Amino acid sequence: MKPHQDPRVIIARRCALELRDGEVVNLGIGIPTMTANYLPPGINVIFHSENGCFGFGPKPATLGADSDMSNASTEPVTLLPGAAIMDLATSLGAMRNGYIATSVLGGLEVDQEGNLANWAYKRHGKWWPGIGGGMDLCYGVPRIIAALQHTDKHGHSKIRKRTDLPLTGKRCVKVIITDHAVFDVTAEGLVLREAYPGLTVDNIRAITEADFTVSANFGPMPVA
Amino acid sequence: MSTHHGKVMDIDAAMSRVPPGTRLMMGEFVGAGEPARCIEWLLEHRIDRLTLLAVTSGLRGDFLMGKLFAAGLIAEYIGTHVATSNEASDAYLSGQMLVKQIYPMGTWAEMVRAGGMGLGGALVPVGVGILDAPGLFPDMDAPKRTIDINGKTYFVEPALTAEVSIIRGWRADPLGNVEFRYTSTQNQKDIAMAGKFTIAEVSEIVPVGTIPPERVGCPGPFVNAVVQGYSLAEQHKLYRDQWIKLGRLPPVDAV
Repeated sequence: MKPHQDPRVIIARRCALELRDGEVVNLGIGIPTMTANYLPPGINVIFHSENGCFGFGPKPATLGADSDMSNASTEPVTLLPGAAIMDLATSLGAMRNGYIATSVLGGLEVDQEGNLANWAYKRHGKWWPGIGGGMDLCYGVPRIIAALQHTDKHGHSKIRKRTDLPLTGKRCVKVIITDHAVFDVTAEGLVLREAYPGLTVDNIRAITEADFTVSANFGPMPVA
Repeated sequence: MSTHHGKVMDIDAAMSRVPPGTRLMMGEFVGAGEPARCIEWLLEHRIDRLTLLAVTSGLRGDFLMGKLFAAGLIAEYIGTHVATSNEASDAYLSGQMLVKQIYPMGTWAEMVRAGGMGLGGALVPVGVGILDAPGLFPDMDAPKRTIDINGKTYFVEPALTAEVSIIRGWRADPLGNVEFRYTSTQNQKDIAMAGKFTIAEVSEIVPVGTIPPERVGCPGPFVNAVVQGYSLAEQHKLYRDQWIKLGRLPPVDAV
């Protein structure tokens, strides 16, 4: 059984429900960035962008776009009342030293120990494409949410027993959100908390390489 | 000030300090805050064999700094990401450009800051046990050094400096004081301090005393040359056009 919605939207919508009112949040590029579009009413967070800003807001109209106001992917943004600009070393220091509460990061693979790999795979015999701010976030942010599709295009599980790729962070992932399931990463291993509506535990087991147990509160993802 | 114009120079005079083979540091962040006219000068004069130190490898889609990679002018890149521009990615994967190792962004920023502040380097805990894996970066000069402090292991990352640094600001005065706008602040000031000769490209050159002292983002003593760049209106158009081209903004219908 396969979810009917765009997998990227399912992941972004579910990630948005994981954010806590008032916290400082850094969204990685790709699916994580889309999370900002699905914040539930009453949940306001302070978005951090590693190029040096707390408190950026939505995209401006084309003619209002300011060439000196962009996010870490160099998309035009606006600044909300209360926004603060900082230099790059300060921004990365904030990431390293625990000033960001939660970060949603994409991943090539995540494993059952909470190791995240998202900066390199072998292309033409070389590690590619690069690190950016991902390792600083994995090092210093207490709650890393890994947001990725459950399987690759060949159907192989991206939730591994152990990833062989170079890591972005060791044992840093606290929650894994895919288009099929939500897992918590605990000291005892992965715990399946939710599955996409209509999917059973066996369905999830069939597409997941990693070992996991099932939460006593297991239920459907509230995203249908 | 020794002359009326102080540090204001025409671009040819300033950029004559950048011969082929220069170790060049440039302010930017994925295409944002790039010194556009100085980049165009490098392209026009085909200044090659450059070692480029920049936090990212630019913005994709034939835009400013990314074009330096496509033109084959960059022999070596020292930064955090080899593929924010498709042009750098191609140069790296084809073997045309050397990348000895890739740094986490905070590590790179601190190495530049150390270079600017006269320190030997930075002690960084990020990536220990990951980036020192044998064989990960086969072109690295020497294995990464570590030091233990209070029971914790840190990489000893040496300071980064450059023969020439080029930064981009909003406006500057003839003393070289530079004011930045919003997220283009980046680490332009640190890059200015880490360069032996530093060029600031700005949209406006204003009289001394115009920039309030507390708004000086890069003090004049860290700058050797101020060059006239695109006006703010021209720069907005340059970026809006690129954002439209990349699908990041909807096109504006001509009126």
